[in-house]
Amino acid sequence: MDNLLILLPIFGPLAGGIISLLLARFVRVQGAVAMIAAIIAWVASLLALWSNWLDPSAPLVYELGAWAAPFGIVLVVDLFSGLFGVMCSTVMTAGVLYALGCHDKAVNTPAFMPLFLAIYTGLLGTMYSGDLFTIFVFLELMVLASISLVGISDHRLGVEAAIKYLFISGLGTLFLLLGIGSMYASFGTLNLADIAQSLAVEGRPLLAQQAGLVLMSAFLLKSAVFPFHFWQPDFHTTAPTPVHAVLSSVVVKVGVYGIIRLTTLLFTEEAGAIQDLLLVLGIVGIFFGGLGALRTYDGKRMLAYSTFGQIGFILVGIGWGTPLALLGAIVYAFNHAFIKSAMLMLMGAISSNTVAKKAEYTEIEGVGKKIGALAGVIYILGGLSLAGVPPLNGFISKLALVQGGIDAQGWWAVGLVVGGGILTLLYMMRTWQHIFQKDKPDHIKLKEQGDNLLAPALLVAACVVLGLYATPLLDVASATVEQIGNPEIYIIAVLGG
Amino acid sequence: MNVLFAIGTGLMFGIGVYQVLRRDQIKQAMGFYTLFTAVNLFLLAVGAFDGQVPAYTDQVEAGGSPADPLVQALILTAVVISFGSFSVLLGLVNVSSRRYETIDSDEMDGLKG
Repeated sequence: MDNLLILLPIFGPLAGGIISLLLARFVRVQGAVAMIAAIIAWVASLLALWSNWLDPSAPLVYELGAWAAPFGIVLVVDLFSGLFGVMCSTVMTAGVLYALGCHDKAVNTPAFMPLFLAIYTGLLGTMYSGDLFTIFVFLELMVLASISLVGISDHRLGVEAAIKYLFISGLGTLFLLLGIGSMYASFGTLNLADIAQSLAVEGRPLLAQQAGLVLMSAFLLKSAVFPFHFWQPDFHTTAPTPVHAVLSSVVVKVGVYGIIRLTTLLFTEEAGAIQDLLLVLGIVGIFFGGLGALRTYDGKRMLAYSTFGQIGFILVGIGWGTPLALLGAIVYAFNHAFIKSAMLMLMGAISSNTVAKKAEYTEIEGVGKKIGALAGVIYILGGLSLAGVPPLNGFISKLALVQGGIDAQGWWAVGLVVGGGILTLLYMMRTWQHIFQKDKPDHIKLKEQGDNLLAPALLVAACVVLGLYATPLLDVASATVEQIGNPEIYIIAVLGG
Repeated sequence: MNVLFAIGTGLMFGIGVYQVLRRDQIKQAMGFYTLFTAVNLFLLAVGAFDGQVPAYTDQVEAGGSPADPLVQALILTAVVISFGSFSVLLGLVNVSSRRYETIDSDEMDGLKG
């Protein structure tokens, strides 16, 4: 039973993707298959987290092909990867749901669902695998699938953005491979638990230090942190709406996951130096992203810049480094995925109501007034949540983060974080005025029907529930912090006594 | 042997970076693949020369420690993945050369600003 809980979230979507590839002639059937696979994986990832929660001292471990731990490939679900897995699978399932009601040409091609489920597999595989090389393989699956999806986008510049990202992510892949090679040269193993043990016992050869740096840069590149950020707004803005929603909310969290794993499991002694760096990069990200979102004239691009700022908040939480601050970072990452995907789906749905189907403010000005009250309600709830207004879940995450900062005595950074939070409110209000308060000019032609708003409505409902009833998430997150604060649990679970 | 591999890896890295920075997108794509080959050479140098006999050989009596088969498995996977990225890249260059009617990356600036 436990084995099934680990395998289904990864291989469920993979099987669904293969089946829907075979059903390429029947696009509607493909959608049904994808939905079923997504829901199965979602339920399995929830149950995996639940069974971990019942017994936090024993993470679930599955050895592929029954090869014992340091030699074979292992899949590990501890509370941390379980929580991030639930975040990814929820947003991906909502993405499939949105794609079913989407009228984009790209979304209704037979290639869409298999590639979308490949992103699902890649995400969950990266989170669950306990082996550096397997992380690389799943990461590449995810990257190539998302590049292909942006390449077939309806947006005219999709191909250019895809080429741009292919080169940048190729650089990240090179870094990752170099890091893997150096790790293997130093310790003769690629298993995360085994590397952690070797680092503790054998100290740090020069090659292992270099591997740590190179892996860190690869993960920073994947989550578009400050010096490596320039590709992110272009690549995300040109993607089809459901893909944009998952790229900006959960795919960037893969880097966050890798950074937390590196600092808590592998390089625990060097964590202090890495955290100082992350604190500075996070603050730069908050202001760069916030100001970028304020000056842009495109709704989707605004949200892509906003992701850049929100990742900054998470990095600041990791940078403070105390358990309470880490709790803040994990809660922030979890809540942000829900808010941001809901807002992006809403923005895509609003622009899908016009004939031009663009998200520039001049093209969607006043459209919000014409398409019913539901869009407005979603925008208000999601926007206020992103800005951190109580009682929504964005407030809970900001509160947890600032509490962590006060606990860590990082006063100047707390001040900057609170100040950066005001920027969020500013750019969300500016967009609200453009879409919902101005009158629609005559040159914008409306269509009969836009995309279905069910998926963003469900995600925003989840935001409200997570805000009003935040105790379970905070409990799980604090148990997670306790567990990753003690790497022995992970190492013993994988390698045995 | 390791010195030779270090020189080879460095040389291929240099060629790859030079090609990636050129304006012609086909040459950029070739440079992209060269960079991956350089990393594969590095992976090969990591563990290929530790032993004296091939791994999984029938001649047990040959003596000596066997070579490490894992790096070669890693390279095999990495080659497949880099080949996949390369073909996706060529496909994208093909589409973009028709859509924007140029393969000069300086003229492809629709995403500026």
